[in-house]
Amino acid sequence: MSNAMLIDLTRCIGCRGCQAACKQWHDLPAESTRNLGSYQNPPKTSGKTWTLISFDEITVDGQLDWVFAKRQCMHCQHPACASACTVGALHKTADGPVAYDAAKCIGCRYCQYACPYDIPAYEWDQTLGLIGKCDFCVDRQAAGLEPACVKACPTEALVFGKRSDLLAEARRRLARTPHNYVQHIYGEHEAGGASMLYLSSVPFASLGFPTLAAEPATAYTELIMRQTPGIALGVAAGASAVYWIIRRRQMMQEQAAAPATVTTAESAEEVQS
Amino acid sequence: MNLAIPTPRAPAQPPRPRVSGRAALIAGLLLLTLIGGAASVYRLFTGLGPTTALSDEVPWGIWIGFDFALIAFSGAAFTMAGLVYILQRESYRPAMRPAILFGLLGYIAVLVLLLLDLGRWDRFWSFFINWNVHSPLFEISWCIVLYSTVLMIEFSPQLFERLGKERPVRWVYRIVIPLVIAAVTLSSLHQSTLGTLYLNMPYRLHPLWYSPILSLLFFLSSIVAGLAVTLLIYPLACQIRGKPVAEGIPAGLARGAAWMLLLYALLRLGDMALAAELPALFALDRFSLLMWLELGLALAAMAIFFSRERERRGWQRVGALLALAHVLLNRFSATLFAQVAPEGASYFPHALEWLSTLGVLAAVALAWYLGVRMLSIFDSHSHAKFHH
Repeated sequence: MSNAMLIDLTRCIGCRGCQAACKQWHDLPAESTRNLGSYQNPPKTSGKTWTLISFDEITVDGQLDWVFAKRQCMHCQHPACASACTVGALHKTADGPVAYDAAKCIGCRYCQYACPYDIPAYEWDQTLGLIGKCDFCVDRQAAGLEPACVKACPTEALVFGKRSDLLAEARRRLARTPHNYVQHIYGEHEAGGASMLYLSSVPFASLGFPTLAAEPATAYTELIMRQTPGIALGVAAGASAVYWIIRRRQMMQEQAAAPATVTTAESAEEVQS
Repeated sequence: MNLAIPTPRAPAQPPRPRVSGRAALIAGLLLLTLIGGAASVYRLFTGLGPTTALSDEVPWGIWIGFDFALIAFSGAAFTMAGLVYILQRESYRPAMRPAILFGLLGYIAVLVLLLLDLGRWDRFWSFFINWNVHSPLFEISWCIVLYSTVLMIEFSPQLFERLGKERPVRWVYRIVIPLVIAAVTLSSLHQSTLGTLYLNMPYRLHPLWYSPILSLLFFLSSIVAGLAVTLLIYPLACQIRGKPVAEGIPAGLARGAAWMLLLYALLRLGDMALAAELPALFALDRFSLLMWLELGLALAAMAIFFSRERERRGWQRVGALLALAHVLLNRFSATLFAQVAPEGASYFPHALEWLSTLGVLAAVALAWYLGVRMLSIFDSHSHAKFHH
């Protein structure tokens, strides 16, 4: 079972320690940004900001809730970005991270369209730009360490562990204090499930989390792409058969119309003309 | 600059205004090509940020829109080669070489536009060694490269004949049937996969456009585009070379396009009905109006092609332009207009995007014109010569 992260928004205090730790570990540059009228800064994740705490003021049943939500790549179980990637630069590793091999990337940005969470970001200010997104600290995980953001979190709003264990823990929390949560583990089934699992006190849609079906977004595409060799053979065989049948029919018509010797003479004339 | 001025061979026309008009057109195309070339080089060495209006919300713009439309338009080459060699409609042979020349130039332009759009254009070759067989773009990339190679061989007799080299021409004609089967196969694959490309975007592409049969729709519309392009450029090639337009070819192409459009429209509307999306068609929002415009262009072209007017040159041209406008708009809808982009998204192409795109398109037009003037553009080989 692969690794995952449980993100309990009710425990988040909005300190943005995770955001800073991510920048530090990955040596990501600062961004020029602007004041949005909230603590959220920068406004959205980008090629330079792989994780970000969003600040949303949500009213549910007349009660105001100030919700802090960590945003980053969801590390899907069936990542559409990896399925789409022209050169296989994005790939799901056995440990859980959807890793990115920058050396393969051609910067086609198809992954940006495939991702249902709008996460992969392009380095627009680079002459030869690449894609940037959370890599779930694939390098730290390989060294037996927890991700930098988890390490930095002071309130255990972020917990790192096996996906099955974290799902059990999430269910335990939902059962123990049901009034604290909406009964929904975001990421358990979304688009075929993700390695990032969220608990929240307000509906996820109110935080702008997309409402996604349980079916992976890659289903149709991969179904059709798997048929490619068959389609190729079918078209080639079909075209050959059509050619052969028409050719044969024409030859038979020619033979029926005139003796063979005359046909040859005619075609010889045609060449000369 | 005298070199561009042709000697008109059509005797009926008064020579003087035509010559100067044509010279002006060539000069204009050359100027656009040069400006576009400079803009393209500037873009390659400065990156996408300063030279485009693209963003993380709208990562693909007019380069990709025109690129995908141009691939469909260049379907003229496989459509005509398939018609003449697989379906063996010999009467269409005179229209084949202008279409193959257009297809070859179209695919070269497609490769240039793709290169402009790639962030790491310096390693465009990455897909040769890094494979992802699930990726539609991976398949499309391979097909385009392989098919461009096939197209160059299919095209080569036009050059060899002009140079008076009989032997390589004979070699090409000896393998022409397998060659055309390869062309049809590779084209069927990537023309349809351009539709498959959108199937992993169920949350981005508007439901009126998103459909499990997108692959089939893209393939059929590439044949429509191929027939329409040939319908436009074959009489043009005849005019440029002062040859009479072969009896029945344009009307026959129009008839073929009419039936393809009918099949295409039935599939598209049937698919919407089956997916219970017809209410969205009458929502009269931005998307439903866009769809009406798209369908209107296709249905108008179909009506012209089915009517008696398809015999008349003027209406043929109108029908072909409507059909091509439909395919162009359809590819732009899928890439841009019917994309439900994330909040705060806006895109209006940067001047450099316009200039480079116009330059590439002008280069295709110019090269095609010069090719028609200078190459062996009308196939004098009857099928019998090499096959009996």
